[in-house]
Amino acid sequence: MSANITDPIEFLKNYDGPEIRIMEVCGTHTHEIFRQGVRRLLSPKIHLISGPGCPVCVTPVNFIDEAVFLALEKGCTITTFGDLVRVPGSKMSLAGARAKGANVKVVYSPADAEKYAEEHPEEQVVFLSVGFETTTPSDVIAVKRAAGAGIDNFSLLTANKTMPGAYEAMASSCDAYIYPGHVHAIIGTKICEDELAKGVSGVITGFTGDELVTALAIIVKKFSEGKPFFVNAYPRVVTDEGSPAAVALVDKFMEPCDAEWRGIGVIPGSGMQLRDEYAAYDARKKYDVPAMNPDYKTACRCGDVLQGKIEPNQCPLFGKACNPDHPVGACMVSDEGACSAFYMYGGEI
Amino acid sequence: MCVGLSAKVISVKDGVAVIDASGAKREVSAELLDDLEPGEYVMVHAGAAIAKITDDSKTETENLAKEHLT
Repeated sequence: MSANITDPIEFLKNYDGPEIRIMEVCGTHTHEIFRQGVRRLLSPKIHLISGPGCPVCVTPVNFIDEAVFLALEKGCTITTFGDLVRVPGSKMSLAGARAKGANVKVVYSPADAEKYAEEHPEEQVVFLSVGFETTTPSDVIAVKRAAGAGIDNFSLLTANKTMPGAYEAMASSCDAYIYPGHVHAIIGTKICEDELAKGVSGVITGFTGDELVTALAIIVKKFSEGKPFFVNAYPRVVTDEGSPAAVALVDKFMEPCDAEWRGIGVIPGSGMQLRDEYAAYDARKKYDVPAMNPDYKTACRCGDVLQGKIEPNQCPLFGKACNPDHPVGACMVSDEGACSAFYMYGGEI
Repeated sequence: MCVGLSAKVISVKDGVAVIDASGAKREVSAELLDDLEPGEYVMVHAGAAIAKITDDSKTETENLAKEHLT
């Protein structure tokens, strides 16, 4: 396996070494791998797993219930990324709440939500703050602006998450990670070096077809050589140090907390919440949101999909009760979700 | 919601950059990047420029393939 590889696609197509499981943990990687037909290029011995990299997919039922509570019981205006509107809660989605009269507005960014609050002082505006290290700085910038401008009708309902805990939690589900390029643009590469020291392998890469295929070929080649490895294959965006400015800004406003990942459970220290000094911008505290303990049962197997235990079409609901028009599980809602991408691009594996 | 966009910086003022992403222009926060100049390329997430892009993907990929696959 030490021979030169001049054509990565031929190499991946004809690979006949030990079986390898490769997990991507980025919704954009999931979408692009399906959209560009990368799975169709691979030998049957190479298995791609779409892990918990789509923030919408891992947002728990409790969070949707909290948002519905704020909208219907407290009369708040909910501002959110569009993907979250149709994610099912235990009783209803935000789309369902909107049908009951709730004010639910789709925005492009947290800054747009803060601006909306500034322009509508008569409304109590809550932004649904979900996402990973890439999105959290934007949430914090919105709070900083609101605090600076004395805006007191804006707050965040937080379900922000961080990736390192997920790497630990999912390590036994795969042989190597395709690390999420933009997460590491923020946090740098040290965590990958730390994982490497524990025997966890992976490659950071970008999102074009060439980048994905090259990263996969590097993973398979190095896996075949039998030693743990880490390669930053996205250095035009990801530096060793990441973005110290973003990390420092987030650290000023937020602190780690335990977080529930839909379908997976609680991963200690994998969430981010506003620090006490910014409680005025924390919707849970501001509106005394009660603990939600939904008795929620579903045949949806999103959790098993995210852990690579099954392919999306092995879920009994896939393509029947659960489809993009009527999603039952969060993975079918967002374009970045494994089930949605699998459904949209024909489910080639 | 978690999709990053690469975009060209058109102008920068008071921590806000106007960017051009495949023809679509909009304002994003430039607060996370020092010394951002018009003409540079950035990666944008959720309304904030999170990183400068320092090379093109084709050259980078070719170099990586040369280093790790041959």
